[in-house]
Amino acid sequence: MLIVVLAGVYAFRHQESQAEKVAAPAAAAAVDSSACIGSKEYMRANHMRVLAEWRHSSVREGNRVWVAPDGRKIDKSLNTCLNCHSSNRMFCFNCHMYANVKPNCWNCHISPMEAP
Amino acid sequence: MNEDRRSFIKKAGIGILAGIGSAAGLFPALSLEKTVFPAWDEKPEPGKHRWGMLIDTRKCSGNCKECVAACHFTHNVPDFGNRKDEVKWIWKSSYENVFPTASRQFQSSEVTERPYVALCNHCAEPPCTKACPTEATFRRWDGIVSMDYHRCIGCRFCMAACPYGSRSFNWRDPREGIKLASTEYPTRMQGVVEKCNFCSERLVKGLDPACVEACPEQALVFGDLNDPASEIRKLLESSETMQRKPELGTKPSVFYII
Repeated sequence: MLIVVLAGVYAFRHQESQAEKVAAPAAAAAVDSSACIGSKEYMRANHMRVLAEWRHSSVREGNRVWVAPDGRKIDKSLNTCLNCHSSNRMFCFNCHMYANVKPNCWNCHISPMEAP
Repeated sequence: MNEDRRSFIKKAGIGILAGIGSAAGLFPALSLEKTVFPAWDEKPEPGKHRWGMLIDTRKCSGNCKECVAACHFTHNVPDFGNRKDEVKWIWKSSYENVFPTASRQFQSSEVTERPYVALCNHCAEPPCTKACPTEATFRRWDGIVSMDYHRCIGCRFCMAACPYGSRSFNWRDPREGIKLASTEYPTRMQGVVEKCNFCSERLVKGLDPACVEACPEQALVFGDLNDPASEIRKLLESSETMQRKPELGTKPSVFYII
């Protein structure tokens, strides 16, 4: 029993010391996938531009935070969208099939349809 | 009447349970890649950090491949089981393959028989980024040589330019070669080059790279080379280290204690 407790403590301390080596997050706020970042009309027309702009500024410039007009801070990630929208497996596909648009997002990213 | 009512309630109960079950399958949000709030609130200062790794080869034991397994699982690196289609981010190799230009003669056989972990060196002067015609690979603000897979056209100039063989080409659809998929990281597609990203997706969360975390001997040390107080700099100060092919002037960020 004592050995198990000691091993647990040791493992925990090891984890902590591992985490310290990398710079601690400078700012922390709640992850927010609860509400859409824009109106339905805006997102319908511009979601691809939003994603392309997010990709550029987060991957190239390291600026990963998007501040919404209402002040919410949002992680610039496809996952911010998918955390909510993957609840509907056909969310992306219905429109894209209708408009005959074939984006290549899902060649690499996990689509709502493939989500386990 | 009473019997009918009883069987109706029974069936309704089963129906509700089935409904809950199917709903749980239909809402897979929890099993997807998690969104994590980023570590840096605004544009980072270029050159402030330079991530580096120190590999203590004295601690690295022969048959252990924990770092390789952890990395390849974390990043959905495919395994096709043959050399031609091989994709690797981190691998173990022999002394003469990792340090082919080491000039020391009569190196002790104990040293030359050890296994050596090799990965992208995240060079300060990376030849691969200069060869890339689309700027799909580039040196980031924190010294990581990163790839934007969206922009890679698969020309493989970077593979020719890299003197360390750290880059792999997806000859086949990588999803066919992934036995156990991680939902925390995307895959790549056929026709793009891929390589180690120093776990930049984990650094954002304040975590160490997967290989560093997985090593049972703690032979891998990760840290900021620009911070004189960091553990990696202290170890570089106190021990004799080697880089791979230093004579090429690529200034690797991965160091080896021999």
